[in-house]
Amino acid sequence: MRNKILTVDDSKTVRIIVRKTFKSYDCEILEAANGVEGLALAAKSMPDLILLDVTMPVMDGVEMLTKLKSDPQLKGIPVMMLTAEGGRDHVLKIAKIGVRDYIVKPFEEDVLVEKAGRIIDLKPLVDGPAKARSLTDPATILVVEDKPAIIQQIQEGLKHTPWKIIGAATQGEAIDYCSKTPPDLVIVSLSLPEESAFALFRLLRTNVKTKYTPVFGLVVKTETGTLQQAQTVGFTTVITKPIDCSDLESRIAKAMNLDTSTRYFSIEEGFFVFKMPENCTQAVLAEIATYLKPKLTEAVDAGHNRAIINVSALRTLHMGVIKQLVQAMQLCRDASVNYVLVGNAQLVSECKGFEETRTWSFFETVEDARASFGKATAAPALATA
Amino acid sequence: MPAATHEISETLIRDNITRAVCDVFKTMLQRTAKLDQMSISGGPEECPPALRDENLSQKPQVVGTVGFLGDINGLIYLYFDDSFAKGCTGHLLGMSPAEVIEAGDEVINDAIGEITNMTVGSFKNGLCDQGYPCKLTIPSILRGSNFSIEPISDSLRFIYSFDAQGERLVADIILKVGE
Repeated sequence: MRNKILTVDDSKTVRIIVRKTFKSYDCEILEAANGVEGLALAAKSMPDLILLDVTMPVMDGVEMLTKLKSDPQLKGIPVMMLTAEGGRDHVLKIAKIGVRDYIVKPFEEDVLVEKAGRIIDLKPLVDGPAKARSLTDPATILVVEDKPAIIQQIQEGLKHTPWKIIGAATQGEAIDYCSKTPPDLVIVSLSLPEESAFALFRLLRTNVKTKYTPVFGLVVKTETGTLQQAQTVGFTTVITKPIDCSDLESRIAKAMNLDTSTRYFSIEEGFFVFKMPENCTQAVLAEIATYLKPKLTEAVDAGHNRAIINVSALRTLHMGVIKQLVQAMQLCRDASVNYVLVGNAQLVSECKGFEETRTWSFFETVEDARASFGKATAAPALATA
Repeated sequence: MPAATHEISETLIRDNITRAVCDVFKTMLQRTAKLDQMSISGGPEECPPALRDENLSQKPQVVGTVGFLGDINGLIYLYFDDSFAKGCTGHLLGMSPAEVIEAGDEVINDAIGEITNMTVGSFKNGLCDQGYPCKLTIPSILRGSNFSIEPISDSLRFIYSFDAQGERLVADIILKVGE
């Protein structure tokens, strides 16, 4: 459920600043201009947090706080003072009535978010309601590792992606970086000295800005104890050394909830192209299955009714691949999309060995396949699955 | 028991207002401020021309006022040129110059009132921690040009001018002389 924050301040400026401060978090901001309005709104809305000024007309913050704390229904609502009244004696007097925190104006918006985040669960809003981030969007990945060679290996292995890989050698460097620019994902070596990977993980999880940032552990495969410990405390996943960069890339995409459909589907020169990768593991097939129908529908909706199913990169044919291809061809027929297949010599030969595939015809290249659509009778003749 | 105002040194006033102005401008407006001129009533130095009453409000001004009451009583006026007041409002609220003009004087008044509240709050918190407990009053705004604020005779007046990256801010502090 959305958190509700009630700001009680006679200054509209402060109320606007509060609203602005929390605009990128999933919470509702309620406003009151004095203690009387504040109490009424608190009783009506039961906010999760009250930000309270002291000097206000009608009823000041001290009186409102006193009344709030003497009301059995309302006394449990956490209150954080946000006021220019900051003399030591004054703060002590108010603290005795019962407040969770005290911010003296002027204040930095980051400090307000951080302190509020210690009291309520502040979830960052996802940018935009519908459009998912894709593999082509830039992202920042922080790798915390005291061995430069590993950072270099990850940078090298992911250099074809639009992701920026930043290296940090220590927990301190990582914290400094995260406080300035929260990364999209963090990879931490679990072999950092003095278990600092786990301390860093805890710090990331207590900071509002990195609370939901995916954190990967990095460990040698044989370190099973450390691996289990990381899984237990809640690391998003654990990557084992030696690093398989292809696997790492997939896991990063999944953790960042990226739209990976561009790996398999595209529109090229007016054709809907479905390309099967070299190695079709169960995970890859599941990913393809997720996108196939929506992507084909999207293409048809955009006016594309010709498809090329390109399996020329595929290393070997197996039942999972065959099922996927049969499904793709069936969907094309259902959507009245003409399609052709492109495959390599080995695949053509392997197709002869299966009942389901022995009648399939393939073009050798995408260019040939594309050209075939110009010939009046070519496409239906090829689509004989 | 209110403190005798003459017990409070000018240095204490100057240090507190300088810290307060610099802190508020840096934190809320991301702008540095530097004390460049001052005038003290009854002081040995002659009042610089820029800080004379007749020159303080030659251009249209938005002046925020907040008082403090307790062991020490007084008022602080912060003078902003009208254009500077609009700039501060825009920065504080994340509004473009056009949006500030569209929002009108009420929004500018509120923003300048809050900047004054924070500045005077910070000033008086310093006094509280140095043994002069007092409380803030609610802010108010004075607008116009060619006006002067004249304190009653039994008061002390300290005027400090700050250079806020090319913009002028004047803090006019009036302290009631204690018994």
